[in-house]
Amino acid sequence: MKQDYFSANNIKYIDYKDIEILKKFLNSSGKIMNRKRTGVTSKNQRALASAVKHARFLGLLPFVVK
Amino acid sequence: MLDMEKEPGYGKMEDRVYEVGYILLPTFASEEVSSLSVNLKDIIVSFGGEFISDEMPKMIPLAYNMVKVISNVNHKFNTGYFGWIKFFMDPEKVPELKKKLDLDPNIVRFLILKTVKENTLASRRFVGRDSAYRRPSKKSENEEAVPINKEEIDKEIDAMVAV
Repeated sequence: MKQDYFSANNIKYIDYKDIEILKKFLNSSGKIMNRKRTGVTSKNQRALASAVKHARFLGLLPFVVK
Repeated sequence: MLDMEKEPGYGKMEDRVYEVGYILLPTFASEEVSSLSVNLKDIIVSFGGEFISDEMPKMIPLAYNMVKVISNVNHKFNTGYFGWIKFFMDPEKVPELKKKLDLDPNIVRFLILKTVKENTLASRRFVGRDSAYRRPSKKSENEEAVPINKEEIDKEIDAMVAV
C-alpha cells in the first residue's frame, strides 16, 4: 500500500467500530502494523492506532491472537 | 446553532458531540435489550444530552474474555450485546454521566469518546476497493468467451494434442 488508504477512500474519521477496515492494518498476531507497511500518513496512523486501541478495549478486536 | 449563540463559553456545537459505546450483559433476552438501550438514552437526556443517532445492541462474540464483578463474584463473559449512542452534551456533564454509567449493573464495559456528528461508519458507505474492480473484469471475460466457435476450439485442442 503506497498511497494513504484513508484519503484514497475519502475516510475523514477513523471509527473504532469499523473493524473490517481496522483489521487490514493488523498483522497475524493482532499487532498494529508500522507506517512503512501501512503507507498511511502520520496523522492517520495516529488516529488508526487509537481507533484500534478503543476497539480492543470494547472487545471488538483482540489484544493478542494466539 | 441557536445554542451556540446562547452559550458562547462552550465553543462550537461540533466540539460537544460524544459517543458512548457499550457492551451489555449477555444474560438478557434479546427482547429486553431494546428497553435497556432506551433506558440509556433516558440517562443521557437526564444529563442534558441531545440524541443524534444510535445503533441497537447486537449480540457479538467478544475478542477476549471480560470480567465483571456482580455481587462480589467475578463473572467471565465471552459474548455481549454491543451498541452505541451518539449525542450532544455539555462537556462539564460528561464526567457525571461516566460516574452514573460506572454504577450501572447491566453494562459490562463502556467507552465515552468525542466524535463527529456525521455517520462515521465507512464500510456502509462503499464496497471494498478490491471487489469494486474485480467483478467487471470477470464479466468481460465471460462475454468474450460466449461468441467463440466450438469447431475452432476443437481444432485448437487437436493441434495442441498433436504437438
